[in-house]
Amino acid sequence: MSINLPMLMLNDIRKSYDRLEVLKGISMEVQKGELVTFVGPSGCGKTTLLRIIGGFTPLDSGEVILDGQRIDHLPPNLRDTRICFQNYALFPHMTVAENIGYGLKIKKWKKARIQGRVEELLKLVKLEGLGGRMIDKLSGGQQQRVALARALSLEPKVLLLDEPLSNLDANLRLMMRGEIRKLQERLKITTIFVTHDQFEAISISDRIVVLHEGRIQQIGSPVEIYERPTNEFIASFVGYVNFLDGVIEKVDRGLERATASTSIGEIHFVPEREINVGDRVKLVIRPETISLSRSEPRVSNNVFQGKVEIGMYVGSLAKYTVEVKGGKIIIDQSNPRETGIFKTDEKIYLSIPENIHLLMKH
Amino acid sequence: MAKAESLYVPQSNLWERVKTFVNAELVNILATLLFLLLVLFLLYPIIAVLIKSVKGPQGLTFSYYLKFFTKGYYFRSLTNTLLLGFINTVVCLVVGFCLAYLTTRGPLSLRKPLKIVSMMPLIAPPYLFAISLIILFGHNGIMTKAFGIKWSLYGFTGVVVAQTLAFIPLAYLMIENTLRSLNPNLEESAYDLGASETTIIRTITIPLLAPGILKAGLLVFVMTIAEFGNAAILGGRTPFLAPDTYTMIIGEADFEMGSVLSVILIIPCIIIFFLHNYILTGKKFTTIGGKPVASEPRKMTPFVQIPFLIISCTAGLAIIISFAVVLIASFTKILGINNQIVLTHIKNFDSNLAIYNSIKVSLVAALIGAIIGTLLAYVIVRGKFFGRSFIEMISLSGFALPGTVIGIGYLLAFNTPPLKLTGGIMILALNCVFRFLAVGVEAGISKLHQINIEIEEASSDLGANFMTTFYKIVLPLMFPAFIAGFIYTFMTTIVSLSAVVFLVSPGFDLAAVKIFDAAVYGEIGNASATTMKLVVIVIICMIILNFVTKKTGFDISRKKGSVTV
Repeated sequence: MSINLPMLMLNDIRKSYDRLEVLKGISMEVQKGELVTFVGPSGCGKTTLLRIIGGFTPLDSGEVILDGQRIDHLPPNLRDTRICFQNYALFPHMTVAENIGYGLKIKKWKKARIQGRVEELLKLVKLEGLGGRMIDKLSGGQQQRVALARALSLEPKVLLLDEPLSNLDANLRLMMRGEIRKLQERLKITTIFVTHDQFEAISISDRIVVLHEGRIQQIGSPVEIYERPTNEFIASFVGYVNFLDGVIEKVDRGLERATASTSIGEIHFVPEREINVGDRVKLVIRPETISLSRSEPRVSNNVFQGKVEIGMYVGSLAKYTVEVKGGKIIIDQSNPRETGIFKTDEKIYLSIPENIHLLMKH
Repeated sequence: MAKAESLYVPQSNLWERVKTFVNAELVNILATLLFLLLVLFLLYPIIAVLIKSVKGPQGLTFSYYLKFFTKGYYFRSLTNTLLLGFINTVVCLVVGFCLAYLTTRGPLSLRKPLKIVSMMPLIAPPYLFAISLIILFGHNGIMTKAFGIKWSLYGFTGVVVAQTLAFIPLAYLMIENTLRSLNPNLEESAYDLGASETTIIRTITIPLLAPGILKAGLLVFVMTIAEFGNAAILGGRTPFLAPDTYTMIIGEADFEMGSVLSVILIIPCIIIFFLHNYILTGKKFTTIGGKPVASEPRKMTPFVQIPFLIISCTAGLAIIISFAVVLIASFTKILGINNQIVLTHIKNFDSNLAIYNSIKVSLVAALIGAIIGTLLAYVIVRGKFFGRSFIEMISLSGFALPGTVIGIGYLLAFNTPPLKLTGGIMILALNCVFRFLAVGVEAGISKLHQINIEIEEASSDLGANFMTTFYKIVLPLMFPAFIAGFIYTFMTTIVSLSAVVFLVSPGFDLAAVKIFDAAVYGEIGNASATTMKLVVIVIICMIILNFVTKKTGFDISRKKGSVTV
């Protein structure tokens, strides 16, 4: 088998509920051993897509191809995919071990073999010795691990995780996020992870699929999604962003420099793509890329004078809204102790870096 | 300090002091009054039966009980009754489960029609099925004559069939309710892990539903063994406890043996009432939160779908046919013998007079029942006195008490001055009030739980006393529950047979009793027509109730005791 053959392929998947089209033609591939996240606001179709892959929701048209074979006509019990539901769906009338061994028992494994495998899985998810417990005697994090172990018991080709962390409190969520990723990398198991939390997606994935209104908006690595979003929706979905509308004034291909005129003045930048004078663009400037200072910085490009309108100190960073001539800019200053905390109405200088992501306007 | 003292106004006036006391203690006074009413009209009659069963000419005696257990006939009526209860429960649970599974998991197009059919018996008095069976399989029944069927309707099997059809909705509703609240992800997980549908049902669905199924089973069991009409009409020579009690009292005027039979009948009912309310509560598997997921219709495998459909459709068809033949019989001279269309049964004067009487009694019962129910709900929820849960328990226990026992109890308890009620219309109304109290009280309780106590506190904070708060705030908010209690009591009273059959006086016939007599004497047209009139009245009540339910959010059809005996 060729290494390049994707583990999972989706071809033009469409699904409507009544008249409402929730998936409008989804096509993508997931490579073996990859962790791919479906992310998007609620109602974007991400859970429906996951349920279609798992076989719980019939699709209207399109193909689901798992490891080279079409599976979209198969019921869930005949597919080599295993799902972890958001609410874990652990069987409350069974012990931890019975839950994990359920699928093995269905497959008619011998008792001793089931026991061995269950022990192995308990160790894998760090629940050694808890096999005899009832489900309601477990904490949320432990239940999450049981659900994971149960889904892994049959060594599925693709693991489907539907918002697996949304029922955990903030600290536990961070910890489990790391553990799931570690486990996934160790087992090299192809995984699809559904979440509405963009930062969770960025921190856990090999690749992210941003879904919005039933369409794939962008597929890319976390860095690509964050730094080079392909449209305004994605840019603002993954963190706050300053958008500046502008027109290209000058393009110097030799020096790889360009200048755009915007409402706050001229901005010089390194063009990341082919642009021409007169193009109308949107500049995407992340708040944490802008630096602030009391005195005028030595660099001459992209320095603007402004006045602090709102300053918010949040410990690890300080958030400012700065009024400049022609607009307002949001700035995140990390490590504020080092640079000093600015007061409301204080006059400051802000300098915008030259690596700026551009969105073309049509 | 001086300032505080100056605010203190001494209460010199005795009247003022009484008023203050009444205001402060009103909930407790009300609770005491209600408690006395419950004792008088619910506990005392039962105690009277108990006493009668052990009171010989020379004081305490167990000779009547000895007679019961030594004389084969009596004992057989106990074993028959228990066996009937058992078979009936099993059949109702199986049919109820199949129906509930199909209406929650099955194809969308089937869900609604199946649901409607399985709820249909709710609008009919249980004895409608006895009448339809007589029309079809009686000595002159349509099927008997058409196919020469040798099956003898009168006896054990006839009663089982009629009872099963009558109590399908009870089992169905309770199972459907638990099935609907079952997290669909659980079954999907099992499916995902490789289980087939039959395996899922066996290892996941049924084990998780077990508490709900058990509860439904207990309820069906109690309702079945206490049911009077079907067993009395179709029992033939087969003895059953409830109709035998009637024969003892009305036929042979043997109050002692009648009481013994009643006590024997009431024992399983009380045991089950306690099991149902106190042992099974809280025994529910909890599942972990998260957003509730709607159950998507999934493809049922033919292995499951076909048998489930066969069972469900057989039951559904039987229900529809039962309604149809009774409806047709009301408009034909003698269905099966002389199929001439006539209106004589519908126009029958005695039948209409009985309906009129029934409406009168039911209106009285409904008014009293709704008032007592609302007040009881209030003291149960807001009262802070000792024995509150005891009051709640007795007021909800009515549904578990067999009507025949209450009937005898009232006959024994209220036959002598100063509490002579026999022969009047009040005794007919009151027994129903207290037997059917449960639903009105539960409606009130659930409505009150929706009303934040702070609303009442705000009212008193603004200077209103208890009475004002109750009238201006509590009553208006509880009004929907009051209406629900009113209509429910009306509806159940008008079809109720088992208790009033002991209490009607000659010359004042009630519709239910009239139907019973007509069915026993084979006046099928008359029985059918009167039954259909009751069905129409119940349908009207249901429509109003449905409207009230939508306003209150209290779903009466899902509460216990919603099927009458």
